[in-house]
Amino acid sequence: MIRALSAVMARELRKTIRQKSRLLASTVRPLIWLFIIGGGIGSITENQQPGSYQEFIIPGILGMTLLFGAMLSALTTVYDKESGVMRMMVIAPLPSYWISLSKMLSATIAGMIQGFILCIILVISGLTGLSQLASVEFVAAVTLTALACSGLGMLTAAISKSLDNFAAIMNFVIFPVFFLSGALYPISTLPAEIQWITIINPFTYGVDLLKHAAHTGSGHSVDFSMMLDCIILALFTIFALAISSWQFGRESTRSTLIGTLTRAKN
Amino acid sequence: MISAKGLSKKFEDTLAVDNLDLDIPEGQFFGLLGPNGSGKTTTIHMLSTLSLPTSGQITIDGVDVLRKPIVVRKNIGLVFQESALDRTMTVYENLSFSAALYGIPRRTADDRINSLLKLFDLSDKKRSPVARLSGGMRRAVDLIRGVLHQPKILFLDEPTVGLDLPSRRKIWRFVQQLIAEEKLTVILTTHYLEEATPCDRVCFIRKGKAVELGAPRELIDRLGDDIFEIESEKPEEVVNLLGLKNSEYIVDSNALLIRSDRDPTFDEIRKRLAGHQSKILVRKTNLNDVFLWISSSGDLTT
Repeated sequence: MIRALSAVMARELRKTIRQKSRLLASTVRPLIWLFIIGGGIGSITENQQPGSYQEFIIPGILGMTLLFGAMLSALTTVYDKESGVMRMMVIAPLPSYWISLSKMLSATIAGMIQGFILCIILVISGLTGLSQLASVEFVAAVTLTALACSGLGMLTAAISKSLDNFAAIMNFVIFPVFFLSGALYPISTLPAEIQWITIINPFTYGVDLLKHAAHTGSGHSVDFSMMLDCIILALFTIFALAISSWQFGRESTRSTLIGTLTRAKN
Repeated sequence: MISAKGLSKKFEDTLAVDNLDLDIPEGQFFGLLGPNGSGKTTTIHMLSTLSLPTSGQITIDGVDVLRKPIVVRKNIGLVFQESALDRTMTVYENLSFSAALYGIPRRTADDRINSLLKLFDLSDKKRSPVARLSGGMRRAVDLIRGVLHQPKILFLDEPTVGLDLPSRRKIWRFVQQLIAEEKLTVILTTHYLEEATPCDRVCFIRKGKAVELGAPRELIDRLGDDIFEIESEKPEEVVNLLGLKNSEYIVDSNALLIRSDRDPTFDEIRKRLAGHQSKILVRKTNLNDVFLWISSSGDLTT
């Protein structure tokens, strides 16, 4: 099973690197946020906050990169049903939770690759110093956040029947998760009604953990303790894995997967 | 090798497979044949652990398929109508990925991939992306994928559908070679009945029930040595002229098929059709006739 898992992850790694346009898009997207939105809003809020706004949103933008990378990769499970790889995986002599697990781990890798590319750009552009990011703490925070994001993607893939188009998923899942998380503004400044949504949003804890771990100027605007962040992210990941593998193990879900193995409606 | 008892599968209101019993000994080349929607693929899915029967029992090589599906999957190979390959990856990457899913050590897998590619004349395509291969070659790679882990049983569900004749012949040559070299038990479903002729035994199913079971030769013999085939633009007219009853003929597009072991005799037919614009052929009975008879009347006796 280890050999199978590593093969799935190696494949995802190769694919992420090979798809140049996807990689470019995922590299440019956070930069737009960072420099255009970050710079623009930053110029309004200047002098009102200690540290610049641009610095404040770095963990949030890093979180966004992980969210897009890992979640979209996990979400491809929905579209993967027609692909040959899914067929190979469905017939492999492995337990049914294995598909969810391997998909989640490889989505995590896809997200992390994109996250680290952003880190390199951040360091090169001088927005952060290498020493701020080069810590075990930081790598662990990125990993845990990416895992939770891939879990979010798997959960969406598993429970949504109507969310079958990309735009719907963008509008109803990814954007709310991103905007209601503390990535762009401290949670404490949000109205109370919106605050409770951010508290049940697992991504909030990922962003918070990244704020802790990336010793940028935003370290002082954390909302929760590092321990709480880690526990909630870990619990959410396990929950997402359990629910999605239960869903993929079910006969009704499996039969649609298997149905695509043979086009004849027998 | 494979034994299924009282196998049934219900989809909502329809009974796709109805109390089917199968017993397939080791090393047999077994064909599961029948019209569309007869339950062939559903049966194959249940036998190969992909779908759960509503009731019934299956054992493969002594292992209970319902209790230990993962053990069973190690012993079976599956090749479907739809290719189970990633078109963006190369032939080698695909095969090596599949080998990893079965936990085959890398070096063993590489040796096996090389020897199978050689057997299938595809050694020079090892580094080509699957998308650049012809349909026939792609199916051959799929076949290699199906036997990489040295299964004892190979399931082939319409393996040649959508391929041209030369490619189909080539695929069959590979299958025959594999059967000979690997001593495989093969379960086949196909629409091309002539492909089932080399089977040791075939089972015709209709509406989820086994209707005929036997060696192809034996089934063909039961329909009689020859078939009278009358080609005509208006088969109904010929039926009237001959005064045939419902069970005595089959209309297959522009041809009327009549069994030679029943009335009317060839001379009788010629006499009755004298002056009518039609062509009468006497030809050997084949498995396709068996299929037509079973599809239209349910069995070979009426």
